[in-house]
Amino acid sequence: MATEKEIIDGFVKAIVEGDEDSAANWAKEAVKANMDAYTLVTKNGGDAMGVVNTKYEKKEYFVPEVLCAANALNAGVAVLSPHMKVDKTTTPAVVVLGVCEGDIHDIGKNLVRIMLSAAGFRVIDLGKDVPHQKFIDTAKENKADIIGMSALMSTTMPGMKRVITMMQEQGIRNKVKVMVGGGPVTKEWALSIGADDRPHDASASVGAVKELVAKLKNERGQTW
Amino acid sequence: MGEMTPRKRALLCMTGNKAKADRISCLDPLTTATVDQMNAVGAPFPEAHTDPDLCFKLAAAAWTVVGLEGFKLPFDLCIEAEAFGAKLNWGRIDRHPSVETHVFNDMKDLKVPENIMERGRFPLKHKVEERLKREYGDYLPVVNQVTGPFTLAGHLFGIEKFCVWTKKRPLEQVKEALMEISELNIADCKDALRSGADLICIADPSATSDILSPTFFRDVMVPVFKNMTNKIGAPVVLHICGNASGYLPYMAETGIDMFSVDTQTDVGFAKAILGNKVAVGGGVPTITALLFGTPDKVKEAAISAIKSGVDMLMPSCGIPPRTPLANFKALVDVAKCMVYV
Repeated sequence: MATEKEIIDGFVKAIVEGDEDSAANWAKEAVKANMDAYTLVTKNGGDAMGVVNTKYEKKEYFVPEVLCAANALNAGVAVLSPHMKVDKTTTPAVVVLGVCEGDIHDIGKNLVRIMLSAAGFRVIDLGKDVPHQKFIDTAKENKADIIGMSALMSTTMPGMKRVITMMQEQGIRNKVKVMVGGGPVTKEWALSIGADDRPHDASASVGAVKELVAKLKNERGQTW
Repeated sequence: MGEMTPRKRALLCMTGNKAKADRISCLDPLTTATVDQMNAVGAPFPEAHTDPDLCFKLAAAAWTVVGLEGFKLPFDLCIEAEAFGAKLNWGRIDRHPSVETHVFNDMKDLKVPENIMERGRFPLKHKVEERLKREYGDYLPVVNQVTGPFTLAGHLFGIEKFCVWTKKRPLEQVKEALMEISELNIADCKDALRSGADLICIADPSATSDILSPTFFRDVMVPVFKNMTNKIGAPVVLHICGNASGYLPYMAETGIDMFSVDTQTDVGFAKAILGNKVAVGGGVPTITALLFGTPDKVKEAAISAIKSGVDMLMPSCGIPPRTPLANFKALVDVAKCMVYV
């Protein structure tokens, strides 16, 4: 039987190398060894994606490698999730995610979903080509903390600005933080349209959500 | 040399001979249609995609309304996937069509229908190209745009799946699939050239280095583009979105005439790397300058692009449909006063 350290190292290596089968096997080993599934996913899985992210930043890895890593993490999560003991005393922050109306490019958004879910946030993924109002309605229904919008086309980016304007018109802008992302979306532009943050990639979105949620709690005192 | 026409000027500029032209050429091989033009000529999206008369009017509006020195067809990047049988969302006046359903589950299922050039909107596109040539003669160039092989593979299989295959499947198999897809682009270009098109634009937004590695570009995309430029037999501009800096060292091997750079690729840097081997187009930001900027801001960006050595003045990426006409016109205004001395 493998030691806990071997299991963790094997799990992390499988994710970094994008090996789904191996990640699932190490996850099964972890279950057999009665390890904490939640820690393995959020801590070790998160660490593994951090390594992947560093490689991506150094241009050793590109999107295909990151996708394979995310798939491997997912394969591990599929094995581990029935064994996760969720902490009932704190409710996780709620993030509504989607790709702007007219845009069907969802790779980046999917990576963000995987990273945020692995970090323990409740993610409501509206998919791609999401009508402006749907972001707002879903945020209202679920008392969301964050709306995350992605656009990969310069022709659909203006949708982000429209959603932010509609949030102001409908009186929920002060209740929800907005983060945006996608290839052509620069931080400068994001801030100019009134978004709160533009994490530079999927991994950075975890830290960004934590910061935005903390800000939000300071501002509104946890009430929706 | 005879009279300088927008067509001659465009051909000179995009083949790296701008010094032989009277001034820089200004057209948009990526996409020309905006809502202001649709309203001006009464040819709105989505009808203009499928009605030959409206399609002609809107394509011609690039010149008649904006003053761009050339025409470009089609207006969207879905015509190939549609002909393969993908279901489209046709969009609306300010929204381009998009592909709703993919066509094949696996690479081994890939099959180009025998009569594909008879399917979907290919015949309509080529008829409208013929009509543009008939009505405007040799004065203005017609650009035939094709959706590049990587982007089209994304439409046919799903981009996420195809990206994973680039790592999990033998590279030869991936390359073969892209080669097969590129043959469709080539057939389309040959029909278009017979219909009067002068220039070819390969728009391969998904082949961006935000997604792919320079190594993949060198080993797979370069041979695929090379196959295309070898067989097409007309000047080719290639557009790839995002920061393409890592691709530049391999760009000349593709055999393209001009590379169109997005805002994330510095025009001056691209010029420095590509030298006199490949011309550089683009440099005017679509979002900050053209969509949300002012005519003055567009002029400033255009002058800066020209100073950086751009060979053809054009938007850095697909023009958003709500781009104000005055901003788009400002681009042409700058080109008109740039006389080489």
